[in-house]
Amino acid sequence: MMNNKLIDRLQILSISLIWLLFTGIAVWILNLIKESLRLHDAPDASLGISLVAIPVFFTLSSVLTYVFIGLRKGRKKDVES
Amino acid sequence: MEKAPAAPHPDYDLLRPIENPGKSFYYIVAVLLVIILYTGYVYIRQVYYGLGVTGMAQPVTWGFYIINFVFFIGISHAGTLISAILRLSKAEWRRPITRMAEVITAIVLAIGGLHPILDLGRPDRMTHLFYNGRLQSPLLWDIVSITAYFTASTVYLYIPMIPDIAILRDRGVKPRWLYEFLSWGWQGTEQQHKVLDRAMNILMVVVIPIAVSVHTIISYIFAMTVQPGWHSTIFGPYFVVGAIFSGIAAILVLMIVFRKIFHLERYLKLIHFNYLSVLLLVMSLLWFYFTFSEYLTGYYGHEPNEMRVFWYKFSGAFAPYFWTMVTCNFLLPLILLSNRKTRTIPGILIASISVIIGMWLERLIIVVPSLANPRLSYPTGIYIPSHTEWMLFLGGVSVFILGYMMFARFFPVISVWEIQEGRQESAKTVTERITSYMPDPEPPLAKG
Repeated sequence: MMNNKLIDRLQILSISLIWLLFTGIAVWILNLIKESLRLHDAPDASLGISLVAIPVFFTLSSVLTYVFIGLRKGRKKDVES
Repeated sequence: MEKAPAAPHPDYDLLRPIENPGKSFYYIVAVLLVIILYTGYVYIRQVYYGLGVTGMAQPVTWGFYIINFVFFIGISHAGTLISAILRLSKAEWRRPITRMAEVITAIVLAIGGLHPILDLGRPDRMTHLFYNGRLQSPLLWDIVSITAYFTASTVYLYIPMIPDIAILRDRGVKPRWLYEFLSWGWQGTEQQHKVLDRAMNILMVVVIPIAVSVHTIISYIFAMTVQPGWHSTIFGPYFVVGAIFSGIAAILVLMIVFRKIFHLERYLKLIHFNYLSVLLLVMSLLWFYFTFSEYLTGYYGHEPNEMRVFWYKFSGAFAPYFWTMVTCNFLLPLILLSNRKTRTIPGILIASISVIIGMWLERLIIVVPSLANPRLSYPTGIYIPSHTEWMLFLGGVSVFILGYMMFARFFPVISVWEIQEGRQESAKTVTERITSYMPDPEPPLAKG
């Protein structure tokens, strides 16, 4: 059986990877905007899409992080101490 | 095989598929794996020889892969959207249904989202999107919206599962490390419940517009082109209605199958089927309304190119598929579901399967006829799907069944904690809610 510390670390790693993934998506979208500006290739459309898409991804990762931290703080030993 | 490790649980029926999956589970998995492996071989063969092994050729350059892409993404609306609407409207009867629906979304989205890659002769060129993607292309909107919907649906599926994962962890079900890892230290304290409720409330609100946007954007792949049969302003809502329609049918089929196999009659009662089938009937009428409006406006305009596609569907080569679609999506559900005598489990199953077939035919009817009748001076195209395309379709369905079975092997398909919560609190909550709707009692008239 895996020990608790290792599981804790894996959980933190999984949350970090989610942030990494969503930040990666945001960077990709920003890169596409940069390209559209450079090529004068309908940058307004690119900006419009990114204004919707990027906040959605960060909302999702924020909710997950909130649950992750909230559940840890809400554990019995943490509440009691 | 693992033994039931802990004391009997009041909802053991829901945990049985996890703790005692039975031999038949492994046999079915083996059969599915054989089909999937063969599908993998067929796909590698397609990559090696190119799209020449498919039935696609000029002018019909989109075939089964795009049809199945739209179809699978449509089915995905079963879950998160319907579940979010039911949760948001505080429909208490949702409790045994929501998770089953949410799992459909997560699995089917993953399968559907990969279909455009199957449609590429050179899938390695997908990497060009990272450097040279054009955000003003509806195809790229699709990638962004499907990724957002997939992640949102997965998060929306996972968060309400945490208390159930903790139940499995506490019962010592193997692999224990998995449940330990995924339960995120859940102990069921009041503070943890508050956090979970708050997160679910946020997700419910976020997920609905994402789900609607996904199928609207898929419709834009067609509607944004100036192509007869595709260039329509109502394609967005038409696709969303079709997606919810096929999604409800998919949930009903799965509910009936799970109820039968795992003896879940205590949880999936006739009233659940009755409510969902009425919703299916309403969606059938709505689908007919949109289909009628879509074709009537085209017919009334009588634009020659539009009419060529129109007659190709109504009385030409695609007429058998068109009229089968109308029968499957409208006539059969209407006959079976509007009559209380036929709105039984077998009747609902027939209507649901009929809708799934009908909605697949609708995707076929949207994609192929417009391409088969180009405005340029090409002869009318012919599309006959090849063995490769049929096999990849079968493979996609097999991946879905395997994915669902694997999920049911490790996690309860009906939310145990929500059922328990419903038993303890629903009656009180519903009474309070009804009291709040009702007008206050009239004050007694003053005497004299």
